[in-house]
Amino acid sequence: MTTLGFASLRATLARRLPAPPRTAADGADVSTSLGGASLLVVGVCCAVVLAGCGRESMRAAPRELRINLETEPPSLDWSLATDGVSIIAIQQLMRGLTRLGRALRAEPDLAERWWVSSDGLTYTFVLRPGVVWSDGAPLRAQQFVDGWLRLLAPETAAEYAYFLFPVKNARAFNSGQLADPAQVGVRARDDATLEVELEAPLVYFPALVSFMVTFPQRRELIARHGERWTEPPNLVTLGPFVLEEWRHEYRLVMRANERYWAGRPTLDRITAYMIEEDSTALVLFEQGLLDLVRLPPLEIRRYATRPEYVRQPLLRGYYYGFDVQEPPFDDVRVRRAFALAIDRSVFPGLLQGGELPWPSWIPPGMPHANAQLGLGFDPERARSLLREAGVDPAALPPVRIVFNSDQTHKLVAEKVQALWREHLGVRVELENREWKVFLKEVAGDPPAVFRLGWGADFPDPDNFMNLFTSYSENNHTRWANPHYDALVERAARAPDPAERQRLYDEAQAILCEQDVPIVPLFVAASNFALAGRVRGFVPSAMDQYFFDEVSAE
Amino acid sequence: MIRWLAGRVLVFVPVLWVVATLTFALLRFLPGGPFDREKTLPPEILRNLERRYALDGTLAEQYADYLGRLARFDLGPSYKYVGRDVSDILADALPVSVQLGLLALAIALGGGVALGLAAGARRGSGIDRGVGLATLVGVSAPSFVIGAGLILGVALGLDWLPAGLWESPAFAVLPALTLAALPLAYIAQLTRAQVAAVMDQDYVRTARAKGVPEGRVRRHHVLRNALLAVLTYFGPLLAMLLTGSFVVEKIYAIPGMGRFFVTAVTNRDYPLVLGVTLVYAALVLVANLLVDLLYAWLDPRIRVAPDRR
Amino acid sequence: MIGSRSAGVLGALLLGALLCVALAGDRLAGQRFDAQDAAHALEPPSRAHWLGTDALGRDQLARIAEGARVSLLVAVGATALALAIGLCYGGIAGWLGGRVDGAMMRVVDVVYALPDVLVIVLLIEVLQVTLAGVPDIARRVAALVAALGFVGWVGVARLVRALVLQAREETWVESARALGLRNRRILVRHVLPNIAGPVLVAAAFQIPAAILAESTLSFIGLGIQPPFSSWGTLASDGFEAMRSYPHLILFPCLAILLALLGFHLLGEALRARLDPRRRA
Repeated sequence: MTTLGFASLRATLARRLPAPPRTAADGADVSTSLGGASLLVVGVCCAVVLAGCGRESMRAAPRELRINLETEPPSLDWSLATDGVSIIAIQQLMRGLTRLGRALRAEPDLAERWWVSSDGLTYTFVLRPGVVWSDGAPLRAQQFVDGWLRLLAPETAAEYAYFLFPVKNARAFNSGQLADPAQVGVRARDDATLEVELEAPLVYFPALVSFMVTFPQRRELIARHGERWTEPPNLVTLGPFVLEEWRHEYRLVMRANERYWAGRPTLDRITAYMIEEDSTALVLFEQGLLDLVRLPPLEIRRYATRPEYVRQPLLRGYYYGFDVQEPPFDDVRVRRAFALAIDRSVFPGLLQGGELPWPSWIPPGMPHANAQLGLGFDPERARSLLREAGVDPAALPPVRIVFNSDQTHKLVAEKVQALWREHLGVRVELENREWKVFLKEVAGDPPAVFRLGWGADFPDPDNFMNLFTSYSENNHTRWANPHYDALVERAARAPDPAERQRLYDEAQAILCEQDVPIVPLFVAASNFALAGRVRGFVPSAMDQYFFDEVSAE
Repeated sequence: MIRWLAGRVLVFVPVLWVVATLTFALLRFLPGGPFDREKTLPPEILRNLERRYALDGTLAEQYADYLGRLARFDLGPSYKYVGRDVSDILADALPVSVQLGLLALAIALGGGVALGLAAGARRGSGIDRGVGLATLVGVSAPSFVIGAGLILGVALGLDWLPAGLWESPAFAVLPALTLAALPLAYIAQLTRAQVAAVMDQDYVRTARAKGVPEGRVRRHHVLRNALLAVLTYFGPLLAMLLTGSFVVEKIYAIPGMGRFFVTAVTNRDYPLVLGVTLVYAALVLVANLLVDLLYAWLDPRIRVAPDRR
Repeated sequence: MIGSRSAGVLGALLLGALLCVALAGDRLAGQRFDAQDAAHALEPPSRAHWLGTDALGRDQLARIAEGARVSLLVAVGATALALAIGLCYGGIAGWLGGRVDGAMMRVVDVVYALPDVLVIVLLIEVLQVTLAGVPDIARRVAALVAALGFVGWVGVARLVRALVLQAREETWVESARALGLRNRRILVRHVLPNIAGPVLVAAAFQIPAAILAESTLSFIGLGIQPPFSSWGTLASDGFEAMRSYPHLILFPCLAILLALLGFHLLGEALRARLDPRRRA
């Protein structure tokens, strides 16, 4: 069978036929040469025709945008999605109460205006009139309540449930202590008014409700379609685009929503492909088949001077997390040792994408960042810590680093593997997974060492720091420190900036120097190649992309 | 003849059964299920999940249920693509792979036989040497080598054809060429050897001695025997297309079964792995059957021979 | 084509070179295959690095030489395994004949119908799990050898069986039997040497097929993992960087090409010499 069996088959074949007597070769035969010539002519004609066809189908239609999502979005359900790929799609399809504007301040979106009570605990949002879903049904305030309650409901098991914990009784409801959803501090006073009660005053709450987990939902549609409610044609949304087609593992097509309240977007259609091979995507871009691709690290050098190049520093941290319950990382000294053995200065040269080595967690550009905190590079101390913990690197079973398939993550993992081997003498094995599966694994049964990034969901340090609280479902390190939790909660509410700085410094010291459940490595930047025919694309430090104002010739 | 045909078709069932059972055993044995050690889920949800993925009941019950569903062509839900059945996924992916495979097959057969004929008829000439060299390189180059060359040369360099995706017929050309390269080379070598051998066989000389015109001699005897030899080789050829398709679908970003299979293995989505396995096994069996029929039709000497292989 | 004698010589030369490279490993380049040097990443061929460096600054020549080891080890191991099993199985079936032969061949039919890549992949998964304590590279190599060997023995078995069946009918075997020689003696001392030729030819073609299969598997990510390199993983890394740094895919592909060419040339030459048709 197969290539392997082929050999034996040939041998057998050779045996079966009688041996040919030796004769002189025949002269050229007219029919054969005619046959050969005609074959050649046909072949050339085909090639020319196909070449022509090829170029034709490659020309882009005006007002059509083709991007590369790189991988299948794990979910378009905005209560369940947690990752950047899903968010790109969701943000074209749906909107929320507010939206982050130019200076990353909250601006009206579905909510026309809002005010807060004098004690800072109650927000009232008035919805814009005339907003309809893509099936024609009007937007009602109750749909926000439905969405928020679904996010918080324990059966949903949403990882982002903690995002709404500032809302009164949300946490109790989510943990199951409170059975009655009506007690949660969000209600619809009427079809156009949404009232939210908070546990404590939160200055940045309007910015919070720009994030996808707070988008409204149609409860009856979800009940009707079950898990398939995000598949076209079931999916009903109200953003500038509507989901037209979703061919899994291949492409997702969104077309303009004629009923969008702000007016139909300029683009007719967005096609988002899922091409995992970076070089294929890049060649397709250079052929004019794609308009926007992320540049893999190896290509950045070459593109840096070209007009298509776009670089945007991000509020995005890249870290390696430990499963603090899995030996040997259950010993804090071991974690510190591994952290001290990483020389972050190698990453900018390795990745070429404008990465900035950063040993603490709050990224620069975010208020209350502090470059002085965190563990640096000290291999001597690392080794002595290992000795102190009684760990013999040679006897240690290989440490597994698991990452999702991507050139960048592979490079970083191989580099860290080499660093740990060189400075600690530890054996390291690498495993990669597809994004969707990786997320599931990290959430369910985290490996000893895994890589993750975190991009800001709203421009406040609380977004970064509350990630590692004990109740955050996005904290996959299984680390819990009540003192850390308390610091983060107090800092979220502290009105005085100096006080906030002090509290965050203390919390970061616990996170990055003392307990070390994670090792922050660097702060990322996004590097794109953008086709010249695209106008109006505004990259954002929040790594959010809105294509409703984009046009393409 | 009918009895022989029926006998061949009956082979399907045990083979598929063996494949199904083996894969079932492996599915249960390997770690990584739909909710492997997930965080504490409420018991009702856990039970629902078990029921949906047919993981409740004893092993024997699961096996019986599994076989029963297979008989109804129900391949079960995918572990990783929540809410989608394996049959749905494959229904989308199978036509793509079949189109690509058939196109590659046509190119390999047409090109290979033509080259082999041309070279075999002119043994020792420049054409023969050229073809010989080209095919030698062709069988020594894995598909990613050809693919890289085509992408850099034809897609990037000449900008004639797209480097990936599956949007219109033009998108199929480079992948099909890449997939066809290796089989084409093998077929060319095989055909050439056959033509050279057959050209000298007794009955060709007899036919010529009897005064049959040259063209007919070639067409009837040489071509048919060459095709026969190629047909014998069909099994490995099909397997080559199959293996090659994994690489080709990956580098050209084509949504076919090969790509799903690789993803499914990496993701440990075992129902999908099983589904692809069964479909491939069935395809191979059907193809082999067709080839046997063709073979019998082409070579009257060998009709229904019991033990050709 | 080149005369078969010179083809065989060329093939042997290529393979000899391959063997030397594989034996030398990364010593050939004077540096370790996994030595990273960030300052000299992605360099084209130069004096210091004859075949250039990759994204992590690793010397390509060292990695290709090391990859030769892995690829050859897997290929030769798999072929040896396939030959061992196939010889025994086919030999027994052919010699015993009759119903036993029939039954054994039915089993072969079923195994033959299993799509081989799927078998390989599933076997790799199983072995990965069962050999949990062993270092990753050893596990992967063992899994690949076992899987590829398991897939290859069928063809060998069929060949051997056909050859043995044929040999059995030869008159000299009958006369040997008539003379009272024991079956086993006939089998071992007379039949086996006669079938050695075709089997050797089969082996000569199995090895490149195994190299091809392994590099394909490693290319799609189901074979060897970093930091170890086989030619397949090197080609995969090179493919990602193909657009800007073609030297990274060029050299591994050349290595595979030359190795396979060598085996095919040698195989053809062997077949020309050992083909029983030529015997008087």
